Amino acid sequence: MNRKDSKYFHAIQILEDNCTGCTACVRVCPTEAIRVRDRKATIDPNRCVDCGNCVTVCEFHAIIPSSDPLDIIHNFKYKVAVISSSFFGQFSEDISYENAKQAVLELGFDEVAEEAMVTDFMISVIREYIRQNRDKRPILSSNCPAVVRLIQVKYPSLLPNLFHQEAPMSILTRFLRDRISKENQLKEEEIGIFLIVPCVAHVTAVHQPEGAYKHLQDGAFSTGMIYGKVREIIKHVQNNPKDIDTYPHGLTWALSGVQAELVDTDDIRALSVNGTENVMDILSRVEDHYLDQYDYIVLRSCTNGCVGGCLNVENPFVAMSRIKKMSKDGDSKEIHVEELERLHAAGEFSVTPLAPRPIMELDKDIKKAIQKMKKINEFLTMLPGLNCSACGSPTCYALAEDIVLGKASIDDCVVLKRHKPEDDED
Amino acid sequence: MAEYWYIAEGFENRVQEYLADNGDSEVDMMFTVPEKDFNTAGKGSSEVKNLLKRLGVDSEVLRRIAVASYEAEINVAAHSHGGVMHSAVYDDHIHIRFEDEGPGIADIEQAMIPGFSTADELARELGFGAGLGLPNIKKNSDAMHIVSEKGSSTLVEFIIFFS
Repeated sequence: MNRKDSKYFHAIQILEDNCTGCTACVRVCPTEAIRVRDRKATIDPNRCVDCGNCVTVCEFHAIIPSSDPLDIIHNFKYKVAVISSSFFGQFSEDISYENAKQAVLELGFDEVAEEAMVTDFMISVIREYIRQNRDKRPILSSNCPAVVRLIQVKYPSLLPNLFHQEAPMSILTRFLRDRISKENQLKEEEIGIFLIVPCVAHVTAVHQPEGAYKHLQDGAFSTGMIYGKVREIIKHVQNNPKDIDTYPHGLTWALSGVQAELVDTDDIRALSVNGTENVMDILSRVEDHYLDQYDYIVLRSCTNGCVGGCLNVENPFVAMSRIKKMSKDGDSKEIHVEELERLHAAGEFSVTPLAPRPIMELDKDIKKAIQKMKKINEFLTMLPGLNCSACGSPTCYALAEDIVLGKASIDDCVVLKRHKPEDDED
Repeated sequence: MAEYWYIAEGFENRVQEYLADNGDSEVDMMFTVPEKDFNTAGKGSSEVKNLLKRLGVDSEVLRRIAVASYEAEINVAAHSHGGVMHSAVYDDHIHIRFEDEGPGIADIEQAMIPGFSTADELARELGFGAGLGLPNIKKNSDAMHIVSEKGSSTLVEFIIFFS
C-alpha cells in the first residue's frame, strides 16, 4: 500500500499500466507532489498529504485509493465498526438510517458505533479548548487529516494553532476499547476496531496517526469498497429489522458549515472553510494574522466537508442535503457522557505536539538556498511561462525548481523543444 | 519631507552596518500595488512569503515578515494612488520598500498611534482601516523608516533579520 522507500505511509497507489501521462493529477495536487516523467505519474511521498484530489480527477483509474480488505476483521475476537458520519448520506431516501446501520453490523461485526455519537461531546471539548487557549487564536480544527498534513508541510508556523485533541472517531475508539475490554473481559489487543471512512486521508491516519499516544484503530475500510455489499445486505435487513440506535443530530459532523455553526456561540466566533484551494487561501491569511477575529476555523479539504470525500459514492451536495434532512427528522439516542468526560479528564484524548514536515526549503543552508533560488529564476526567464504542465511538472516555476534540484532537464519543456531549429530537422 | 525612524533595541549596530554598506541583494522582487484594488493587494507579500519558505527562513520570523508586508501592501492599496512594492532578500535579512504616488501622510507621528485611521468608506467596508497598519508594521519589524509629507509621495520601508 505504501512506498517502502519513504517514512510516510500513503493510501494512494498508481497503476502504471493505466496511466496515460495526461498530467491532470499534476495540476490538482496542492503540494505539487506529482510529476509525470516518461509518461507515467509518480508521487513524492514526502510531499503527499493524502487529500485525494488526484484520485477524483484521474479519468483512467490509474490513481487508486487503497484501504484494508474486510476479512482482516477475523483476526480479532471482538469486532467493532466505527462509521464516519458522511456514510449515511450515501443512500437513497427509501433506505432508512437504521437499515443502513444494521447492514454494516451484518458485514460481520459484533458492534457498530458511529462518529455522530460523540458530536455533542466534541463541541463541548472544542469550546473548552478554545477558551483555555485564547492566546493561540484562531484555533484550527484538526479532524481532517489532510488539513493537518497540509499545515505540517506548507504552513508549519500554524502548528501551535491546531486543536490538539484526538478526532471524534479516535476518541470513540479509545472509549470503546476501554469499555469493551472491561465488559467482555477481553485483552485490548483481542478487540478489533475499524473505521469506515470517506477519504484516503482517513485511511492514512489509521495506519500512521499524527500525535497519537496510544494504539487506536486496527484498520480502515473505504465507504466505496463496502457500499455494494451493504446494499445487498440492506435488502435482507429490510425484512428482518433489528432494534438499532441512531444519532441523527450528530450526523451534521460530516458538514463543515454546520460544525462551525454548532461551535459558534456568544464568546466564540467560528468560520467554516472547505475545499483544498479555499483551505490554503485561508491558512495563508491566518499566517498574516488577518483572521485573528475568529476564535475557531473549521477546515475540511473536501467539498462541503467529509461528504465530499473521494471514497464516497454520492455527490457531496446531494449527500449534504440528505444528512441535513435526517438530522432534522429523527431523534437521537441519549449518550452517557460521564465516561467520556472521565477519560477526557484523564488525558486519554490528548495528542503530542505535532511536528513540521517542511517540503518547501531548497536547502538547509540559507546561502545555498539563495544560490539555488537565483538559478531557478534564471531558468524561469528561459521557460515560456505557459504553465501547461506538458513537461510533467505543474508549472514553469516547478520545472525550473526541478531542474535546479536535478530532477528534470530544460529539454523536458516541450514548448521550447518545438521552437529549437535543430529539432525541426528530424 | 518629514521623516520617521524606528530601530528595535539591540539591532542598532546591525541596521547601521547594513545601511552603511548597502551591498547588492541576493534576490529581488517587484510588484505594483494598484489604487483601491483589494483583489490583487496582498499578492506581493504572498509571493515574498513563498520565497522565504523556500529559503528556509524560521517560521516565526516568516510570520512577522508576512504580517508587516501584508499590512504595508494593504496600506498602499487603501490610502494611496497606487504604488510599488520592492523586496530585497539578503542572506541574513529582508528589506522591503513601498513607494506610492501620494497623497502623503500629513502627520506621521499621529499615523503611528494605534487606532488612528484616515481610511475612506470603501476600505472600511472591506474590513480595512482599523488604524493598526503602521503600528503593526513597526511591531513586527527590526527597523522601520517613513518619509512623507502632505501632497507628496510616501516611502515606507522596513528591515527584518532572519535570526
